[in-house]
Amino acid sequence: MPIDAANPVPPNFPRAVGPDQIPPHVPKELIRSVGLTMGPDFLAAPHDYMKKLHDEQPPIYYDVSPMGNMWHFIKHEDCLFGLRHPEFFSNEGATPFPRDPNDYFYFIPIEIDPPHHRKYRNIVDPLFCPAGVKQLEGLIRQRANDLLDEVEAEHARSGECEFTTAFGRPLPVSVFLDIMGLPQDMRDTFVEWAVQLLHSSTREDMADAMKKITVYLKGAIAEKKANPDDGVVSLIANAAPDGVPLSDPEIFGFVCFLFIGGLDTVFATLNNIWLHLARDADLRAETIRRMETDPDKVVEELLRRWSVTFSGRVVEQDVEVRGVQLKKGERVTFILPAANFDPEVFPDPLKVDYDRPRKTILAFTVGVHSCMGGHLARLELKICLQEWLKRIPNFEVKPDTHIEYRPGGVIGPEFLPLTW
Amino acid sequence: MPSVTYVEANGASHTVDVAVGENVMRGALYNGIEGIAGECGGAASCATCHCYVDPDWTEAVGGPADGVEEELLEATACPPTSASRLSCQIIMSDALDGLIVHLPERQF
Repeated sequence: MPIDAANPVPPNFPRAVGPDQIPPHVPKELIRSVGLTMGPDFLAAPHDYMKKLHDEQPPIYYDVSPMGNMWHFIKHEDCLFGLRHPEFFSNEGATPFPRDPNDYFYFIPIEIDPPHHRKYRNIVDPLFCPAGVKQLEGLIRQRANDLLDEVEAEHARSGECEFTTAFGRPLPVSVFLDIMGLPQDMRDTFVEWAVQLLHSSTREDMADAMKKITVYLKGAIAEKKANPDDGVVSLIANAAPDGVPLSDPEIFGFVCFLFIGGLDTVFATLNNIWLHLARDADLRAETIRRMETDPDKVVEELLRRWSVTFSGRVVEQDVEVRGVQLKKGERVTFILPAANFDPEVFPDPLKVDYDRPRKTILAFTVGVHSCMGGHLARLELKICLQEWLKRIPNFEVKPDTHIEYRPGGVIGPEFLPLTW
Repeated sequence: MPSVTYVEANGASHTVDVAVGENVMRGALYNGIEGIAGECGGAASCATCHCYVDPDWTEAVGGPADGVEEELLEATACPPTSASRLSCQIIMSDALDGLIVHLPERQF
């Protein structure tokens, strides 16, 4: 039965955790504990780890973890199949993000299965489609150059620049505030909240961040209802698909999801790419050269090579994939960075090759829930590469730096001190 | 506002208004028409908004917009023909009022 987004109730799916809760139908040879996002191999070099999954694991395996047991899909073909068949792989209850059960809401549209999710996408798609985000191009370029002024000033002062705090984090937040119609003076506060929410080691810290975000967003929604403008918060707050205004939980769940979905992923993408550009002078030179002629190919290949996240679903009805039986209620994670390294589709997968034959990359997933911010992310990455490389074509990781990754659903270096 | 008629592979036909400047893929999505996925959102990168332009309209609509569309049309789930286009690359104009496109059986 479709869920009623106006009257949300917490899902009640069983959650299997640990070796005592492996369903009896799972073949022994498919039971693994690969340490995704937590194990030492992952934390040492997460993207190398993603490639090694293909060498060391079967295409589909049942991962047993203290964070919850689930099926992992690593093949490109299987991820495409799963993400394109919501009748087998549902989004309901598949977003493992804690919410107050007494004030529950769905993340919209990610947790809404078709056909209902289209109602929500139609509200914002005109702004997030290629033609929509293109209107932001001049503004994004301005934001990037404003930050680059600060970056160069900091480098002149101290001889180094910590990329994540100076550029990787504030840039996407600035752009996010512009598109949402929220004031720029919230930039540093938003960065702080997002980092606290997504990178805290305690549940208390996360809950505290969530509380602050909730209070702010609810205030912003009320303000936009009173004084509509052309930003996304106002568009959602005042939307009335088929003449029916959205309810408060729908509005909040939609705006809150954009906050969570839109910030950390772009941070991490920039941070990963800049780390590798800093480490590899040949890649930098090649990137500068090819950005002149084929910026879209460069952006697509970098997004394939440094994809940052995963996609989760719950099995909606029993299904067999590649000879493996999956039962209703079991959880599946599509390991998108691994799918982008499937050697059958992307030979020599760790190599950055701007002339690869065109294939569907999974950085933004596929299917009806493919990332609504994908075009904005592509444009931001393109502009950042163009503007940064124009002003700072050569840069390196500060000598003797240990690059640290932390466990979590978004992959990227925590800090990246650069010198040039 | 100009209208477009989408004919599904099973013969079901839907006529809807699509604003000038909007693309034909989005016209389908906004109106809940099955048979067009458009999963890349109109970036000409996924080939899941394949359609066959009705013979009466191929001349007015014209061929692929560029080399990228041509390349993608070789990778569609259902076989392409000389009438194949990616509907995200067909931009509505008054001249296309009454356009008829036929949708393939599947998009992936």
